[in-house]
Amino acid sequence: MRREAPKSVADYAPLVFPGFMLVAFFVVPFGTMVAVSFFQRQQGGFYTPAFIFDNYERFLSAFFGGVLGFSIMLAVVVALVCVAIGFPFTWLISKASRRVQVVWLVALLSVLSLSEVIIGFAWSTLFSRTAGITNLLVWAGLMAEPRALFPGFGAVLTAMVYQALPYTVLILYPAIVRLDPTLTEAARTLGASPIRAFFNVVVPGLRNTIVATLIMVFVFALGAYLLPQILGRPQHWTLSVLITDQAIYQSNMPFAAAMAVFLVLMSLAMVGLTLLVGRKGEAA
Amino acid sequence: MKKFLTTNVSRRTVLAGTAMTAGMLAMPSILRAQDRSIKVGVYGGYFKESFDTHIFPAFTEETGIAVESIAEPTGEAWLVQLEQAARANQAPADLSMMAQVAMLKGQASELWQPLDLAKISNADNLLDRSVNKYPDGRVCGIGAVAWYITLVTNTDVYPEAPTSWQALWDPANADRLGLLALVSNSFLLEVTAKTFFGGTDHLSTDEGLEEVFQKLAEVKPNVRLWYRDEAQFEQALKSGEIPMGQYYHDVTGLAAADGNPVRSTFPEEGGILDSGSWALSRASQKAEEAHVFIDYMTRAETQTLMSQKVGTAPTIKRELTQLTDEEFAAVSSDIDPIIPRYDLYQTRDDFLNQKWTELIAG
Amino acid sequence: MTGLALKAITKKFGDFKAVDHVSLDVPQGTFVCLLGPSGCGKTTLLRMIAGLEEPSSGQVVVDGRDITATPTHKRDFGMVFQSLALFPHLNVGDNIAYPLRIRGASKAEQSGRVDELLKLIHLPDFAKRPVAKLSGGQRQRVAIARALAISPRLFLLDEPLSALDAKLREAMQVELRQLQQQLGITTIVVTHDQREAMTMADLVVVMGEGRIRQAAPPVEIYRRPADSFVAGFIGSTNLIAVESDSIGRVTALGTALPDVAMVDGARMATLSVRPEDVQITAPGEGVLAGTVTFVRDLGGTIETFVDVSGTTIVAVTTPRDRSDLAAGQKVGVRIPAQSAVVLKS
Repeated sequence: MRREAPKSVADYAPLVFPGFMLVAFFVVPFGTMVAVSFFQRQQGGFYTPAFIFDNYERFLSAFFGGVLGFSIMLAVVVALVCVAIGFPFTWLISKASRRVQVVWLVALLSVLSLSEVIIGFAWSTLFSRTAGITNLLVWAGLMAEPRALFPGFGAVLTAMVYQALPYTVLILYPAIVRLDPTLTEAARTLGASPIRAFFNVVVPGLRNTIVATLIMVFVFALGAYLLPQILGRPQHWTLSVLITDQAIYQSNMPFAAAMAVFLVLMSLAMVGLTLLVGRKGEAA
Repeated sequence: MKKFLTTNVSRRTVLAGTAMTAGMLAMPSILRAQDRSIKVGVYGGYFKESFDTHIFPAFTEETGIAVESIAEPTGEAWLVQLEQAARANQAPADLSMMAQVAMLKGQASELWQPLDLAKISNADNLLDRSVNKYPDGRVCGIGAVAWYITLVTNTDVYPEAPTSWQALWDPANADRLGLLALVSNSFLLEVTAKTFFGGTDHLSTDEGLEEVFQKLAEVKPNVRLWYRDEAQFEQALKSGEIPMGQYYHDVTGLAAADGNPVRSTFPEEGGILDSGSWALSRASQKAEEAHVFIDYMTRAETQTLMSQKVGTAPTIKRELTQLTDEEFAAVSSDIDPIIPRYDLYQTRDDFLNQKWTELIAG
Repeated sequence: MTGLALKAITKKFGDFKAVDHVSLDVPQGTFVCLLGPSGCGKTTLLRMIAGLEEPSSGQVVVDGRDITATPTHKRDFGMVFQSLALFPHLNVGDNIAYPLRIRGASKAEQSGRVDELLKLIHLPDFAKRPVAKLSGGQRQRVAIARALAISPRLFLLDEPLSALDAKLREAMQVELRQLQQQLGITTIVVTHDQREAMTMADLVVVMGEGRIRQAAPPVEIYRRPADSFVAGFIGSTNLIAVESDSIGRVTALGTALPDVAMVDGARMATLSVRPEDVQITAPGEGVLAGTVTFVRDLGGTIETFVDVSGTTIVAVTTPRDRSDLAAGQKVGVRIPAQSAVVLKS
């Protein structure tokens, strides 16, 4: 089949709808945010249109640099852990019977229906000293006395992985199911144990999917703001938490917008970097 | 009273405010079709429910003015909406219950219509602090509700009630406190200034502020949880997980009445008194009805009813109310309160916020 | 010496018996074709030999050792899949070297063996190519080379040529057969293409409904099919109902066939006659009399359809034999007794 270049205006018609959606739901909101990030903040009031860099200047400090760094590190770790757990897990599900698959996928979907608030509170209870899982360990004789496992980095990470894991599995599942099952069978007939076949054939065969999943979970985790504040100490608050504080409690929209623009640029940079590394790896 | 208060709806703060309130804003509830009506904004959730149930129907019955109550979000989102609507000469609500910092911010842009105290016969009942004024003396707001933030403890962990805010600094309380996470809702600067530096006036100078921040930094090792959401701390307080902190006096009292091992103490330096005021949007055409409404709300009987049914502290002089000592203690105290320096959060908002955030998260 | 022995292998999926009590001895170096329609159990049988499926009962014995419980990766077989299953992330050389790498062969050993195999499959200097850049036939050969890399004890192929076009398939059949003879390796190919089986196999195993219907050299399968299923599956044939009377005279289509005898004194049977064995004669000269209904002249051969008392009998002749037949013509039909096979009903 030959593709012909569009010749008349009408040939571009199919682009109108997606173009409109892109403008309405991305270009306009994002453009507004960028514009507001340059506005003048009126302390004790609102903001006035202007073109100043104060909001960016305020952001360029060691403090906010540290928060941004932590946010990115947290999102990267969440993405890595999610894929490290989700990939073998999804692989095992895909090998199971149809009924088992359906049960698992429905269970995962139901986790998706839980709001961040519920997840946060559930984990804060599970990690509490008075009603938490350490009581089970004490009961089992594995621990001397119950302990609080939050607030702390581990608690934030656990809850965020819990929240992102269903997304991870749902992104991986179609690709894993589509992967030719004879590839691993071939590896086994050629002498590879099932585990070796998984790492030699399945993982590299789905490399692009894995990279795409890492990026999606990373971006998803970067936006988290409730779990870090419910389960973390202030040093575990992400940039999204501070953006929310500025936007909702301080009504400092220009500064919130400037931070959000920074966050978007950083995540785009991370995605770009990942793709670049991926391409190099492919060429090698 | 219990029946309504124990629903445990988040009262002043709404977690993840945006999503939840966006839905509520769209749902005004109309009590009765009348010729005369007024749209009144009250904090969504518990407050709105209580007012709709206990206060507004009686008002409509007596005055013939229908009340359309509108759930407003806390924080300053509602202020932003009112301001933008007023620019277009619209009033999403005629009267709104506004927090004090928002009152000041609205004043800066002349958002509030001046009120005529002569039309409010009960104005004399009001405590001085319950009348908001423009710098030139015009009245722009009348105290609607007030509440205290006090020192709360778990009685299992602390058999003896603490007596002073100094308990927050006690090294024995390491990693045991739950404090509010924002400079503008915890009012810990005021607490520190009153407890250690003789009063909130100490916050007026840069040197004073610096000293207060340094003193406040000493409390950090004791803090287990910096909370934005009430429910999160309340649960931890009840279970003893986080046995001490600052919290709302009225809600703590209700929790104790339900048998939870918690208590609220007015420290000798005083509880933190925060309040909301009725303010009239400059775009409103219902000035007449608004004055009738405010007059009704400042009556001694209404204030008494609100203390009994809604759990708020009266904004009028105590002796005018019909509250028993027990009822009064449930919502207020005679100890001189710590009044937040709302002016600071208007003029030095970003500075304080930045310093505060670096203090606790740095 | 026995290369491979299957002993009463059965595979059940729920109540369904995919493979039903199959026993087979395959001498070392034999080229076996498992032939049958889809769903006959041939692929399941192959997968059980490879260890990819576990038999419900029975044993797989190789070189006298029972390997039924040995996991696939320890069997040292080579297998070519219908999808070929080349690893897309590896180039040709790395695909072929994979079983060697798994077994810890040195780089030098690996590349030496890869070069050797590439020469064997007539694709020298292809080691660095990505598999995506190969043609269908080339991929086929790479898959074969990869399966042969470790000189396996058993070479298994599942419909290996089905993805190729007809011309290439025929060429590959010959090539595969020559390769197998060159290496002398015991080979088992699953196919549904009887022509493929006839081309390559020493031993054709015809399967139907999970059971072996006949296992024999190709010519014998063709000449002496065990039953009408085999006869119908291998090549085309004329199946004519025959019956015998009380004194053993056999009649077909109302006409006595003096030279044909029933098996085991049965009363009813089917006679299989290959079309090329049917002779068309002048009217009245043959044993049977009929009318030509259709003539298909394919140039190299002519297929003549003759209606004899309601049954169509097809005769295949060369143009030199008779080129003057036309539809509607009355003819005689002769069935040589030595080329007709009586099948049990």
